[in-house]
Amino acid sequence: MRYGNRIHWLALPIACGLGSAALLAAIGQSVPASAAGPKTRPDPAVEGERIFQQNCSRCHIPPMVLNPRVTGTIIDHMRVRARLSRKEQQLLLKYLAP
Amino acid sequence: MTRAVTGLTPLMRDSRIANETGRSASRLFLFSLALLCFVFAGPRMDLAQDSKPDQTSAGYVPVLSGAFAYIQNSSGGVQSLAPQINPVLLVPMGKSLLLESHVDFTGFFQRRNRTSGDFTGEVFKTIESAQVDWLADSHVTGVAGRFLLPFGLYSERLTPVWIHNLQDVPLTYAIGTHPYGSADGLMLRGVAASQPSVNFQYSAYFSAHSSIDQLPAERAAGGDGSMFFPAARVETGLSYQRSLEGYQINNEAAYLTWQPQSFEINLKAEYDRNHYGDGYWIEGAHSPQQFFFAPRFFRRFQLVGRMEQFFVRNGGGHGLSDVDEKRPEFGVNYILRDDWKLVSSYGRLFSSNGNSNTWNFGFTYRFIWPLWPGKRS
Repeated sequence: MRYGNRIHWLALPIACGLGSAALLAAIGQSVPASAAGPKTRPDPAVEGERIFQQNCSRCHIPPMVLNPRVTGTIIDHMRVRARLSRKEQQLLLKYLAP
Repeated sequence: MTRAVTGLTPLMRDSRIANETGRSASRLFLFSLALLCFVFAGPRMDLAQDSKPDQTSAGYVPVLSGAFAYIQNSSGGVQSLAPQINPVLLVPMGKSLLLESHVDFTGFFQRRNRTSGDFTGEVFKTIESAQVDWLADSHVTGVAGRFLLPFGLYSERLTPVWIHNLQDVPLTYAIGTHPYGSADGLMLRGVAASQPSVNFQYSAYFSAHSSIDQLPAERAAGGDGSMFFPAARVETGLSYQRSLEGYQINNEAAYLTWQPQSFEINLKAEYDRNHYGDGYWIEGAHSPQQFFFAPRFFRRFQLVGRMEQFFVRNGGGHGLSDVDEKRPEFGVNYILRDDWKLVSSYGRLFSSNGNSNTWNFGFTYRFIWPLWPGKRS
């Protein structure tokens, strides 16, 4: 059976739908929460948890338990692999090993 | 030394001079490496002790991380057994340097006559990475040595056996990674701008040609750029690579990930293209977090589906199929704990070379072991 050089009939609408929905969601939710109210200094641990939830689960199941002895090394590794900034690295450390 | 050199034949003299030059170069290289470690590692440790506001209880001991896995595969009626060990050694040096080494041992065993007889095979050893990471700045990390090619979603991020949801790599996996999957050279990577609403992440690299045993690489240059919208959990990016060896070709990829919290689903999609073919894959994974019956049991299930197609261009090959193919694939995984996972999947490959079923069953185990008892505070 020979398949022509054309995309499967389901793929194009799925891809378009997925892309459109994702971008609409991104645009709709791209305003930071802090812009709505008065500026307060966020809790580093809360910020760290947010970064943990947003970044780690993009690729894998986040570990439930992390030995404190290895936390610094692992977060250094993930800073390189996940392309995190130094600030994000520090907030993650505050959250995982306060 | 001059007398000794003049007593030799011209060929031997040239060889000896070359050896001495090589030894001098080696000594100079080692000295430079030691100086580099001292300059970047030493002062940073002092700095770390002074920066009390940033201090945490995190330890920085050397770590052996990685995974064990055992996957039994049946493809077109042919059974294969694939035990794997993928250790990753991490050694921090000061606050700005990290040594990483990732080795892959994968056994591949099949019946002697494919469908009958005893199992026979071999274990393949691959050095995936052996690199020095220099955390130079908040936005820049320099990488030197052998590293995984940052191309698309799969190559660098989803390759570890404990991470990917389906055990079969996408049909377009060879685009941007063929033939070795790793590069020997230099890379700059990091986050160009980090805002609450959007992050811009990048990587740019150059790979030299290498024919060293266990460290082969092709001459290539490329990069990857992506935008991540944290609030919506949407990421979109582009990868580009120019192969600079032999018949020079471009490899390109565009990808999208989305984790809408309201649907408890993890969506990933990628389109890849090069001179020999193009194709896409779309994957969705769902874990029912609030199942009406026995939620604690069912939230550990992961239902996965992937659809992919590949289209041949210019005869295909070079790691890609030489005919058009498409493959729907479904998987059910069970996460025993965050380190143990049972995996199973079924896929059907539709190809003009013949259709076939692919089954996978197995488990993966991720480990993170400290290699030193103390910690640096």
